[in-house]
Amino acid sequence: MSWDDCEKCEELLQPYLDRVLSDEERAEAERHLEGCSYCRKRYVFEEQIRQFVRQSVVEEMPPELKQKLAALRTPL
Amino acid sequence: MSDAPEVDARRLAEEARDRVRFEEEALELADQVYRVARRFVSTREEAEDLMQETYARAFRSWRSFQPGTNMRAWLLRILTNLNIDRGRRVQRAPDTQPLEEGDYFLYNKLEEDGGSAEGRVDDRLSQDDAVAALSAVPHDFRDVIVLVDIGDFSYADAAQILEIPIGTVMSRLHRGRRILKHELADRAVGSAVS
Repeated sequence: MSWDDCEKCEELLQPYLDRVLSDEERAEAERHLEGCSYCRKRYVFEEQIRQFVRQSVVEEMPPELKQKLAALRTPL
Repeated sequence: MSDAPEVDARRLAEEARDRVRFEEEALELADQVYRVARRFVSTREEAEDLMQETYARAFRSWRSFQPGTNMRAWLLRILTNLNIDRGRRVQRAPDTQPLEEGDYFLYNKLEEDGGSAEGRVDDRLSQDDAVAALSAVPHDFRDVIVLVDIGDFSYADAAQILEIPIGTVMSRLHRGRRILKHELADRAVGSAVS
Protein backbone atom coordinates (compact mmCIF):
# COMPACT_ATOMS: atom_id res chain seq x y z
CA MET A 1 0.00 0.00 0.00
CA SER A 2 1.59 3.26 -1.07
CA TRP A 3 0.68 6.90 -0.47
CA ASP A 4 0.07 7.18 -4.22
CA ASP A 5 -2.67 4.58 -3.86
CA CYS A 6 -4.24 6.60 -1.02
CA GLU A 7 -4.04 9.77 -3.10
CA LYS A 8 -5.79 8.05 -5.96
CA CYS A 9 -8.38 6.64 -3.55
CA GLU A 10 -9.06 10.13 -2.21
CA GLU A 11 -9.68 11.34 -5.76
CA LEU A 12 -12.22 8.59 -6.23
CA LEU A 13 -14.07 9.36 -2.97
CA GLN A 14 -16.72 11.78 -4.27
CA PRO A 15 -17.54 9.97 -7.54
CA TYR A 16 -17.58 6.68 -5.61
CA LEU A 17 -20.22 7.98 -3.20
CA ASP A 18 -22.10 9.54 -6.13
CA ARG A 19 -22.05 6.09 -7.81
CA VAL A 20 -20.71 7.48 -11.06
CA LEU A 21 -17.45 5.50 -11.28
CA SER A 22 -16.92 2.99 -14.03
CA ASP A 23 -16.96 -0.67 -12.96
CA GLU A 24 -13.20 -0.74 -13.27
CA GLU A 25 -12.66 2.36 -11.12
CA ARG A 26 -15.13 1.19 -8.50
CA ALA A 27 -13.35 -2.15 -8.26
CA GLU A 28 -10.04 -0.31 -7.93
CA ALA A 29 -11.38 1.84 -5.07
CA GLU A 30 -12.92 -1.16 -3.29
CA ARG A 31 -9.73 -3.18 -3.59
CA HIS A 32 -7.82 -0.35 -1.98
CA LEU A 33 -10.43 0.24 0.74
CA GLU A 34 -10.38 -3.42 1.71
CA GLY A 35 -6.72 -3.22 2.62
CA CYS A 36 -6.41 0.38 3.81
CA SER A 37 -8.03 1.39 7.10
CA TYR A 38 -6.77 4.98 6.65
CA CYS A 39 -8.94 5.51 3.56
CA ARG A 40 -11.76 3.24 4.70
CA LYS A 41 -12.37 5.30 7.86
CA ARG A 42 -12.44 8.46 5.81
CA TYR A 43 -14.91 7.04 3.27
CA VAL A 44 -17.26 5.96 6.07
CA PHE A 45 -16.95 9.39 7.66
CA GLU A 46 -17.65 11.17 4.37
CA GLU A 47 -20.81 9.18 3.90
CA GLN A 48 -21.89 10.06 7.45
CA ILE A 49 -21.19 13.76 6.99
CA ARG A 50 -23.20 13.86 3.77
CA GLN A 51 -26.09 12.17 5.54
CA PHE A 52 -25.76 14.53 8.50
CA VAL A 53 -25.82 17.66 6.32
CA ARG A 54 -28.74 16.35 4.32
CA GLN A 55 -30.82 15.56 7.40
CA SER A 56 -29.89 18.87 9.01
CA VAL A 57 -30.77 21.16 6.13
CA VAL A 58 -33.94 19.54 4.83
CA GLU A 59 -36.93 21.59 5.88
CA GLU A 60 -40.40 20.27 5.18
CA MET A 61 -42.90 22.39 3.31
CA PRO A 62 -45.43 24.19 5.54
CA PRO A 63 -48.88 22.60 5.00
CA GLU A 64 -50.49 25.99 4.37
CA LEU A 65 -48.15 26.57 1.43
CA LYS A 66 -49.44 23.45 -0.25
CA GLN A 67 -52.95 24.85 0.08
CA LYS A 68 -51.81 28.13 -1.46
CA LEU A 69 -50.25 26.26 -4.38
CA ALA A 70 -53.39 24.21 -4.91
CA ALA A 71 -55.39 27.47 -5.00
CA LEU A 72 -53.31 28.55 -8.02
CA ARG A 73 -54.80 25.76 -10.14
CA THR A 74 -57.00 26.71 -13.07
CA PRO A 75 -60.64 26.58 -11.94
CA LEU A 76 -62.63 23.78 -13.57
CA MET B 1 -69.55 19.01 -40.77
CA SER B 2 -72.39 18.37 -38.40
CA ASP B 3 -70.14 16.61 -35.86
CA ALA B 4 -67.63 19.51 -35.60
CA PRO B 5 -69.03 20.81 -32.29
CA GLU B 6 -68.77 17.29 -30.86
CA VAL B 7 -65.14 17.06 -31.97
CA ASP B 8 -64.42 20.42 -30.35
CA ALA B 9 -66.15 19.38 -27.18
CA ARG B 10 -64.16 16.16 -27.04
CA ARG B 11 -60.92 17.99 -27.65
CA LEU B 12 -61.71 20.46 -24.88
CA ALA B 13 -62.59 17.65 -22.50
CA GLU B 14 -59.32 15.87 -23.30
CA GLU B 15 -57.36 19.05 -22.77
CA ALA B 16 -59.09 19.68 -19.43
CA ARG B 17 -58.27 16.14 -18.36
CA ASP B 18 -54.61 16.53 -19.35
CA ARG B 19 -54.38 19.83 -17.50
CA VAL B 20 -55.90 18.39 -14.31
CA ARG B 21 -53.51 15.44 -14.52
CA PHE B 22 -50.57 17.82 -14.97
CA GLU B 23 -51.62 20.01 -12.03
CA GLU B 24 -52.10 17.04 -9.73
CA GLU B 25 -48.72 15.58 -10.62
CA ALA B 26 -47.03 18.97 -10.12
CA LEU B 27 -48.63 19.38 -6.69
CA GLU B 28 -47.52 15.90 -5.66
CA LEU B 29 -43.93 17.01 -6.34
CA ALA B 30 -44.25 20.23 -4.33
CA ASP B 31 -42.63 18.83 -1.17
CA GLN B 32 -39.54 17.76 -3.10
CA VAL B 33 -39.36 21.04 -5.02
CA TYR B 34 -39.66 23.00 -1.76
CA ARG B 35 -36.68 21.21 -0.20
CA VAL B 36 -34.49 22.55 -2.98
CA ALA B 37 -36.18 25.98 -3.09
CA ARG B 38 -35.67 26.44 0.64
CA ARG B 39 -31.88 26.08 0.31
CA PHE B 40 -31.65 28.18 -2.85
CA VAL B 41 -32.71 31.24 -0.83
CA SER B 42 -32.03 32.58 2.64
CA THR B 43 -35.43 32.70 4.28
CA ARG B 44 -38.59 30.63 4.46
CA GLU B 45 -40.61 33.62 3.22
CA GLU B 46 -38.48 33.90 0.08
CA ALA B 47 -38.83 30.16 -0.52
CA GLU B 48 -42.62 30.37 -0.18
CA ASP B 49 -42.83 33.33 -2.60
CA LEU B 50 -40.61 31.52 -5.06
CA MET B 51 -42.72 28.38 -4.86
CA GLN B 52 -45.92 30.32 -5.51
CA GLU B 53 -44.40 32.15 -8.47
CA THR B 54 -43.07 28.87 -9.83
CA TYR B 55 -46.37 27.05 -9.58
CA ALA B 56 -48.32 29.99 -10.99
CA ARG B 57 -46.04 30.00 -14.01
CA ALA B 58 -46.06 26.21 -14.34
CA PHE B 59 -49.86 26.09 -14.28
CA ARG B 60 -50.01 28.82 -16.92
CA SER B 61 -47.51 27.17 -19.23
CA TRP B 62 -48.41 23.53 -18.63
CA ARG B 63 -48.72 22.90 -22.38
CA SER B 64 -44.97 23.39 -22.80
CA PHE B 65 -44.26 20.41 -20.53
CA GLN B 66 -43.61 17.24 -22.51
CA PRO B 67 -45.37 14.31 -20.85
CA GLY B 68 -42.98 11.48 -20.07
CA THR B 69 -40.07 13.79 -19.28
CA ASN B 70 -38.84 14.71 -15.79
CA MET B 71 -41.45 17.07 -14.35
CA ARG B 72 -39.46 17.70 -11.16
CA ALA B 73 -36.51 18.94 -13.23
CA TRP B 74 -38.90 21.01 -15.38
CA LEU B 75 -40.35 22.71 -12.28
CA LEU B 76 -36.88 23.33 -10.87
CA ARG B 77 -35.77 24.94 -14.11
CA ILE B 78 -38.68 27.40 -13.87
CA LEU B 79 -37.84 28.03 -10.22
CA THR B 80 -34.15 28.60 -10.94
CA ASN B 81 -34.91 31.07 -13.73
CA LEU B 82 -37.38 32.97 -11.55
CA ASN B 83 -34.86 33.07 -8.73
CA ILE B 84 -32.27 34.63 -11.03
CA ASP B 85 -34.78 36.95 -12.75
CA ARG B 86 -36.08 38.33 -9.49
CA GLY B 87 -32.58 39.19 -8.36
CA ARG B 88 -32.77 37.08 -5.24
CA ARG B 89 -29.73 35.28 -6.35
CA VAL B 90 -26.83 37.66 -6.02
CA GLN B 91 -24.66 37.30 -9.09
CA ARG B 92 -21.03 37.15 -8.19
CA ALA B 93 -17.79 36.22 -9.81
CA PRO B 94 -17.05 32.53 -9.35
CA ASP B 95 -14.70 31.84 -6.48
CA THR B 96 -11.46 30.87 -8.14
CA GLN B 97 -9.20 30.99 -5.12
CA PRO B 98 -7.25 27.77 -4.79
CA LEU B 99 -8.46 25.49 -2.04
CA GLU B 100 -5.61 23.30 -1.02
CA GLU B 101 -7.46 20.99 1.31
CA GLY B 102 -8.34 17.60 -0.06
CA ASP B 103 -11.47 15.55 0.39
CA TYR B 104 -10.23 14.13 3.70
CA PHE B 105 -9.86 17.65 5.15
CA LEU B 106 -12.71 17.62 7.67
CA TYR B 107 -11.89 14.13 8.94
CA ASN B 108 -8.24 15.06 9.38
CA LYS B 109 -9.14 18.30 11.18
CA LEU B 110 -11.34 16.47 13.68
CA GLU B 111 -8.60 13.92 14.24
CA GLU B 112 -6.02 16.65 14.79
CA ASP B 113 -8.33 18.40 17.21
CA GLY B 114 -8.08 15.48 19.53
CA GLY B 115 -8.79 11.80 19.37
CA SER B 116 -10.83 10.10 16.73
CA ALA B 117 -13.18 11.67 14.18
CA GLU B 118 -15.35 8.57 14.29
CA GLY B 119 -18.72 9.04 15.92
CA ARG B 120 -18.07 12.75 16.43
CA VAL B 121 -20.21 14.38 13.79
CA ASP B 122 -23.25 14.80 16.03
CA ASP B 123 -21.11 15.68 19.03
CA ARG B 124 -19.25 18.43 17.28
CA LEU B 125 -21.79 19.86 14.87
CA SER B 126 -25.38 20.93 15.38
CA GLN B 127 -28.16 21.13 12.82
CA ASP B 128 -27.73 24.93 12.85
CA ASP B 129 -24.02 24.51 12.08
CA ALA B 130 -24.89 22.48 8.99
CA VAL B 131 -27.44 25.06 7.82
CA ALA B 132 -24.99 27.93 8.40
CA ALA B 133 -22.13 26.08 6.70
CA LEU B 134 -24.22 25.38 3.61
CA SER B 135 -25.42 29.00 3.52
CA ALA B 136 -21.80 30.16 3.59
CA VAL B 137 -20.99 28.29 0.36
CA PRO B 138 -21.13 30.74 -2.60
CA HIS B 139 -24.31 30.41 -4.71
CA ASP B 140 -22.72 28.96 -7.82
CA PHE B 141 -21.40 26.03 -5.82
CA ARG B 142 -24.26 25.76 -3.36
CA ASP B 143 -26.92 25.47 -6.09
CA VAL B 144 -25.20 22.37 -7.44
CA ILE B 145 -24.78 20.82 -3.98
CA VAL B 146 -28.45 21.47 -3.18
CA LEU B 147 -29.65 19.92 -6.44
CA VAL B 148 -27.43 16.82 -6.26
CA ASP B 149 -27.05 16.15 -2.53
CA ILE B 150 -30.40 17.44 -1.24
CA GLY B 151 -32.60 17.16 -4.32
CA ASP B 152 -31.15 13.83 -5.53
CA PHE B 153 -30.82 15.10 -9.09
CA SER B 154 -28.31 13.49 -11.42
CA TYR B 155 -25.40 15.53 -12.77
CA ALA B 156 -27.23 15.64 -16.13
CA ASP B 157 -30.46 16.96 -14.58
CA ALA B 158 -28.55 19.57 -12.57
CA ALA B 159 -26.80 20.69 -15.76
CA GLN B 160 -30.15 21.04 -17.52
CA ILE B 161 -31.77 22.92 -14.64
CA LEU B 162 -28.90 25.37 -14.24
CA GLU B 163 -28.23 25.54 -17.99
CA ILE B 164 -24.53 24.84 -17.58
CA PRO B 165 -22.35 22.06 -19.05
CA ILE B 166 -22.19 18.78 -17.11
CA GLY B 167 -18.43 19.25 -16.65
CA THR B 168 -19.16 22.53 -14.84
CA VAL B 169 -21.64 20.73 -12.58
CA MET B 170 -18.95 18.22 -11.67
CA SER B 171 -16.25 20.80 -11.01
CA ARG B 172 -18.59 23.03 -8.95
CA LEU B 173 -19.76 20.05 -6.96
CA HIS B 174 -16.21 18.99 -6.26
CA ARG B 175 -15.15 22.45 -5.16
CA GLY B 176 -18.42 23.24 -3.40
CA ARG B 177 -18.21 20.15 -1.22
CA ARG B 178 -14.67 21.09 -0.23
CA ILE B 179 -15.80 24.61 0.70
CA LEU B 180 -18.68 23.10 2.67
CA LYS B 181 -16.29 20.86 4.60
CA HIS B 182 -14.05 23.80 5.32
CA GLU B 183 -17.07 25.70 6.69
CA LEU B 184 -18.07 22.68 8.80
CA ALA B 185 -14.51 22.39 10.12
CA ASP B 186 -14.58 26.08 11.12
CA ARG B 187 -17.67 25.39 13.18
CA ALA B 188 -16.49 22.09 14.65
CA VAL B 189 -12.94 23.01 15.53
CA GLY B 190 -13.10 26.80 15.68
CA SER B 191 -12.48 29.60 13.28
CA ALA B 192 -8.73 29.13 13.56
CA VAL B 193 -8.95 26.56 10.76
CA SER B 194 -6.95 27.64 7.75
